[in-house]
Order: sequence, then structure tokens, then C-alpha cells
Amino acid sequence: MNTALVLAVGGLTAVGVYLLTGRSLSRIVLGYALLGHATVLALLAAGGSAGETPIVGQAAPEAMANPLPQALTLTAIVISFGLTLFLLALARRQRTLSGDDLVEDDIEDRRIASAESERDTVAGEPSGAPAP
Amino acid sequence: MIFSLLALHIAVCVLLVATGRRLGRNSLLVGAVPPAAAAVWAATRLGAGRTEAADLSWVEGLDLALAFRVDAFGDIMTVIVSGIGVAVFVYAHGYFAPEAEGTPRFAATLLAFSTAMLGLVWSDSVWSLFVFWELTSVTSFLLVGHKRTAPAAVAAARQALMITAGGGLVLLAGLLLVTDSAGTTLISEMPPLDGTAAGVGAVLVMVGAATKSAQIPFHSWLPGAMIAPTPVSAYLHSATMVKAGVVLVAVMGPALGSLAPWRPLGFAFGIASVFWGAIGALRHRDAKLILAWGTVSQLGMLITLFSAGTPKAVLAAVTLLVAHALFKGALFLVVGEIDVRAGTRNIDELGGLARRMPTAFAVAVLAGLSMAGAPPLLGFIAKEEAVKAAINLDGAEAWIVGFAVIAGSVLTVAYTVRFLVAVFGAGPATTLAMRRAAMSVPAAVLGLAGVAGYAALGQLSDVVGSAATRLSRAGEVADLHRWPGLTLELWISAGVLALGTVVGLVVSRRPGRVPVGYAARWTDASIDGVITFGRAACARIQHGSLPVYLVTMVATAAVAAIPFVGAGGLGHLFAWHSPLQAALALTVIGAAIALAFVGSRVAAGLALGASGITMAALFVVHGAADLALTQLLVEAAVVVGFVLAFGHLSRSFPKVGLRWKTARMAVAGAGGVAVMVGLVAASGDPRAAPPLAEMASASLDEGGGRNVVNVILTDIRALDTLGEVLVLATVALGVVALARASNGAERPSP
Repeated sequence: MNTALVLAVGGLTAVGVYLLTGRSLSRIVLGYALLGHATVLALLAAGGSAGETPIVGQAAPEAMANPLPQALTLTAIVISFGLTLFLLALARRQRTLSGDDLVEDDIEDRRIASAESERDTVAGEPSGAPAP
Repeated sequence: MIFSLLALHIAVCVLLVATGRRLGRNSLLVGAVPPAAAAVWAATRLGAGRTEAADLSWVEGLDLALAFRVDAFGDIMTVIVSGIGVAVFVYAHGYFAPEAEGTPRFAATLLAFSTAMLGLVWSDSVWSLFVFWELTSVTSFLLVGHKRTAPAAVAAARQALMITAGGGLVLLAGLLLVTDSAGTTLISEMPPLDGTAAGVGAVLVMVGAATKSAQIPFHSWLPGAMIAPTPVSAYLHSATMVKAGVVLVAVMGPALGSLAPWRPLGFAFGIASVFWGAIGALRHRDAKLILAWGTVSQLGMLITLFSAGTPKAVLAAVTLLVAHALFKGALFLVVGEIDVRAGTRNIDELGGLARRMPTAFAVAVLAGLSMAGAPPLLGFIAKEEAVKAAINLDGAEAWIVGFAVIAGSVLTVAYTVRFLVAVFGAGPATTLAMRRAAMSVPAAVLGLAGVAGYAALGQLSDVVGSAATRLSRAGEVADLHRWPGLTLELWISAGVLALGTVVGLVVSRRPGRVPVGYAARWTDASIDGVITFGRAACARIQHGSLPVYLVTMVATAAVAAIPFVGAGGLGHLFAWHSPLQAALALTVIGAAIALAFVGSRVAAGLALGASGITMAALFVVHGAADLALTQLLVEAAVVVGFVLAFGHLSRSFPKVGLRWKTARMAVAGAGGVAVMVGLVAASGDPRAAPPLAEMASASLDEGGGRNVVNVILTDIRALDTLGEVLVLATVALGVVALARASNGAERPSP
């Protein structure tokens, strides 16, 4: 397996995760795009060795790069492109509504966390089970 | 027949839930029908020595099945469970006032318990046994908490559920180990086991049994459960459910009895409970609690005898099991009647009941004498056999168990005498409500059954003997004797009765203090502690910050990748196909890092473009021209979109704290490494070379195209590609809709 490609996959993943864990939506979109790159490269690296472009007539069949992973990877590129664009649209909408592009905390979870500490227990008085 | 009876139980249970409101209190009488059928069926089988088996397999590969097997012991247990069930249903009809609320619900739950208990004693597969075991815990919880609005009832129900269901989990672990060692899930087919795993399993099974049968130190839930309506106390918490642990010890005895920890652990639980339970029964002043502590003591005796596992001990234990169900059931029913009619169970407030409740008194004396082990009653035979079995054990066990049985019997006589004297003897005159026949008849029947058992000892001996033979897997078990003759056991019995009576009379004169329930308090405190901890943990873990959630997930995934480090070997690694790849890989990482650290959004967009273009170059080097072309187009669109979306936002990103930034970097780095580890491990397997020549010729001949990648996409995977186009169209619609919406005047004031 091609170590250079593996390193590129690792580097792209690391930076992608770092950006995804930020608070700014625009950075999250960037992180998402980088993770897409990493996935595509991983597919390609796992799909076999490099070679000549698989076009019959231009390359001898035995010198070709494996065309099957390329076909699958192409789909991956297109789909991650679609999702990235949709994320961008969502981020823009958020910016329009709130004036910035920061990710808020999950309000429901916050409420659960604060309610849990306040809620009274149902235990009542200790059970009527005296021992000798 | 087994499945028909279970189906009848379930059908009537559903019927009660559906029509209970119309039936009112009479739903209790309807509920008595299925137990009556089961009791009659089992009674006709008593002594015949037939075994009926039935199973319904579910997942064959996992040995998961509902497997039932009713043998001689199963018959006895069925008669106890269903027979006392009928008595309790009838009794409850008198116990609850006609206008009492929730009686149909009570009837349905009681019948559900009855079903679960039958399933438990009929189970041959450990898994169906476990399921019914837990069902009895749940129905017990519902019945203890019958008065939903009373906080004390709710707390007691919770404690009972926590201990018995917690014990159920321990039992589950034990059963897993045991079935693994035995190689079968059918109890009847388990050979005597040995080995460490089976030994640990035996300990866990014994602990599970001890929680259910309220053995020290898991006993505190049983006195607490006395807050339940008396029919529940009589049925679940003396006659049947608390016997589940005993039954488990009995049926697992042949398989686990030879393991080193089994007998000592059983003796420890049992003997501690014999004494502590009896002492509790001597100290409490609530008639029901006296009986409950007595139950703890008697269950201890049963656990001790079944743990010993010799044919004699098993015979004694089965006899005591039957006798205890009868006399303790009768006593509870009597106390319930007193409670209902006098309005109190406190022995200090009761007086003159011997004269004013003659039937109840007669039943209590009959049952009490049986409990004390006096002739001519069933309890006498059980105790004789127990003493005989104990002193015939080997070596030190004979002394330890013998002492426990004899001294325990003295205490039993003592608390029985105290109970009878304190409840029915002199005291303040009590005002009594009307007598209800539905309450006194079942109690009298159970009380007289003890006499009948003694009278019909010949038949009983066959029945009990064949059950003991099955349980101990011994060839032949000795008969029960109505009158043992002037043997050592008889002299011991006489001494026990005399000494116990004296102790009982002395103690009953003493105005005692009600003891403090330390065990119950500790249990409650620890349950509260667990709940408090759970709330605090929930508040900390579910804090609402999405980035922290994500960091947690990635860190977990990185840890999960650790076992794959170096898996599959590293031999397939090589540096690069061409040095250009290395240069481009470095460039793309560099672009990504730049993207992460540039301060302005426009620069970030540009860095994204740079990384995309480098990706395209990597594709070219790899020999993937189509990918490169697509990547360039896509990247251009993404960069344009990014600038459109964020271009006129403030130019720089918000600042974050250094510590959080460092943590994110560390986790992100770990995530990157984890992906590399996974990638290397996944590619380690040697694979066949791709059939390039076939693909090339097929592309030309069948697909009619020279570009193999395009032929795959538009020909072989045409439907997938169509789906892909649909995805893109949907995205386009969504993007347009979102963009349009933001142009309106709906922007809220901040």
C-alpha cells in the first residue's frame, strides 16, 4: 500500500476532524470538505496501484490503473460535493437568521442537564422495613 | 397441556385487563379459574411419577427455547403455586372492600404473577427460567406498590425490585458461565460440573438465589414488602415467589453441588438467615413483620438443606417446602383478617382475640403448631427429617448444620409461641368489624391441609419421595415416618419444643422496642446514591455542547482502533509509486493545515481550492483522469459557494481558548492516526490481481466505449448513477429553497 497516500489520508482526516469540532459553521463546512477528500483518497489507495488511465487503445490493459475503484470514487466525489453545497446553504440560512455562523449548544440537552439536578426524587420517606 | 395451561392463564389475564372495570371485585374470582385448572391438573399427576415436557424453540443456533419439563417436583410446586393461588384469590375477594379502587388491576397483576411463577417452576431451559424469574420480580414490584399514592409503598416496591432484579442480573451472569461449562441449556441434562468457570458461575447462581429468597444480607426487601396488601404477602412473599431462589438451588444442586464453593456458600447464607430471621421475628411488634422475619429464617433453613444436597436433606427440604407454604400462607391470611377487622396489626394493640375470633384462632394454632414442628402436623415431620438429615452429614458439617437446624428450631418455636400469645392473648380490648367468610375459609383450608398432610402421610411420602429422588438424582429415598419411635431425633424434638416454649413465653412478656432497620436504610441509601450518581453523570455527559460530543466520539473511535495496530502485517507497505505522489501528498496536507489556521474566511476558501486542485493532481498521477476532471469542476463550485455563503460575513473566525484548541488537536490527530491504522490493516489481506484485460475487452465489446471508468458508470452501474443524479437534483432544490427563504423579510430582530 502506498505510504504517501496513507499519510495524506491521515493528515486530511486529522485536519478535517479538527475543523469539524469548531464552533464556526464555515469551518465545519471546510472540515467536511477535507474529510471528503480523505475518504476519496482512501478509496483510491485501497483500490490498487497507480497505472495509466484506463482507456482502451491508449493503454495496454495490464498497465492500466484499476478502473473499478475509480468508478466508485467518482460517485463519492459527487455525493460529497452535493452534501457540501447543501451544508453551505444551511450555514448561509443560519447566518441570515442569527447574524453569525456559530453552532449553538443543543438547547434540549442543556435543559435535561439542568433539570436533572433540580428534580425532586420520588423516594419519599424511607421504606417501612425495620430490621431487628 | 403445559402450553394450554399457560395460554389459559394469559388469556384470562388479558380478559381481566380488558373487562376488569365491569367485573369489579369479581375479577378476583375470574382470576382464580386458571390457577384452579393448573392445580387440579397437577394434583391428578401427584405421585404418578410422570414427566411431561414441551418446548418451543426460538433461535435454534443459540439454544434459545422455551423448554418446559414438569416432573414430580414440578407437580408439587404447581400444586403449591396454583393451589395457594386459588385460596389467595378467594381470600382477596373478602380482603378488598367492594368499593376499593384498582381491584381489577390487582387481580390481573396477581394472575400475571401466578403465570410467571408457574413458568418458572416448569422451566427446564435456563433461559426460560431466567425470563420468568425476572417476570416474577416485575410483578412483585407492581403488587408491592399496589397503593401507588403511598410513598412508603413506592419506596418498598422500588427496594424490592432493585434487590431482586439486581440479583437477577447476577444470576444471568452465573447461568452464562454454567451453561458454557455444561454445554447445554437444559437443567435436566446438565452433568455434575467442575472447573473454575463453573465454580464462579455457581457462586453467582447462589447469590442470585439468595437475593430472591431474601437471605442475609439481601433480606431487607422482604420485611419492607409487607406494606403490600396481605394477599400479596401471603402468596408472593411467603408461599411462592420467595421460594424461587430455593427452587433454583434445588434444581441446580445436582449440576453444581460438587463445585467447591456451592455448599459452603449455601450454608453461610442459609445459617445466617436462620438465626437473624428468627431473632427479627422475636423482636418485631407488627404481626405481619413477625411472620416475614420468620419467613427469612425458614427460607434460610430450606437453602441450607438443599445446599447440603444429600438425599435425606433434599427429602426434608421438600417436605418443609410444602409444610411452610401451607402454614405460613394460613398465618398470613389470619393476620390479614385481623388487620382488616381490627384495623391494626400491632401486637400491643391487640387483645382477647382468642375468644372473639375463634375460627382465626383455631387456624392460627394449627398453623402455628405446624410451624413450631409439633405433632401431629406436617411441620413436625419436616423438622424430624431436617434434624435427621443434618446430623447424618459428614464430619464438621454434621455439627454446624445440626446445630443450626436444632437451635433454629428452638427459636422457631419461640417466635411461634410469642406470636400466638401476643396476638391472641390478653391485651386491650379490640373493636372488630364484621366477619367475612371469604377471608376465613381459605385460611382454614390451608391450616387444615397441614393436618391432612400428616394424616395422609403414606400418599404424601410417595409424592415427596419421588420429588426428592428426582432432585437428588439418587436411586431411592427413604420414606417419611409418621412417628419415628423413641429415636434420638424425637428426644431432640421434645427438647426443642420445651426450650422454645420457655424462651417464647419469656420474650413475649418483655415490652420490646421496635428495632431500627439498618439493612433497609443502607439499601435505600445506596439506591439513592446510584440514582444521584446517574443524574450527575447524565448532566455531565449530556451537556449540550455539540463539539464536545464530536470530540468524544472521535476519541472513542481512536481508542477502538488500537487493537488493529499492525494487524495484517506491514509487508505490503511501500513508499510511493512515483516521487511526485509524495510531493503532492505533502502539498495537500500543507494546504489543509493552512486552511485550518488562516485567520480570514476568504483565505480559507482559497486554501480549500488549493487542496482540491492538489487532489486533482494526485488523481492524475494515479492514472485517474476522470476523477481529476470531476474534482476540478466540483472544487471550483465549492469555492464559489463558500465565498457566496460566507464572503460578506466578518472576515475572521472567532477566537477560542488554547486548552480546548489543544484538546481538539490531540483528538483530531488521534483520529487521523486511527484512520491510517484502519486503512493499513484493511489492505493487509492479499488479494487477487484485478482482471484488467477482461474489463478492458468487456468495456469495448459489451459497453461500446473505450473509457472503462465511464462504461462502468453509465452502463454497469447505470441505475446507481441515475440515483446519484437524483441526489444532486434534490440538493439543488434544497439549496435554492434555502437561498430564496433567506431573501424574505423574516429576519428576526436580534
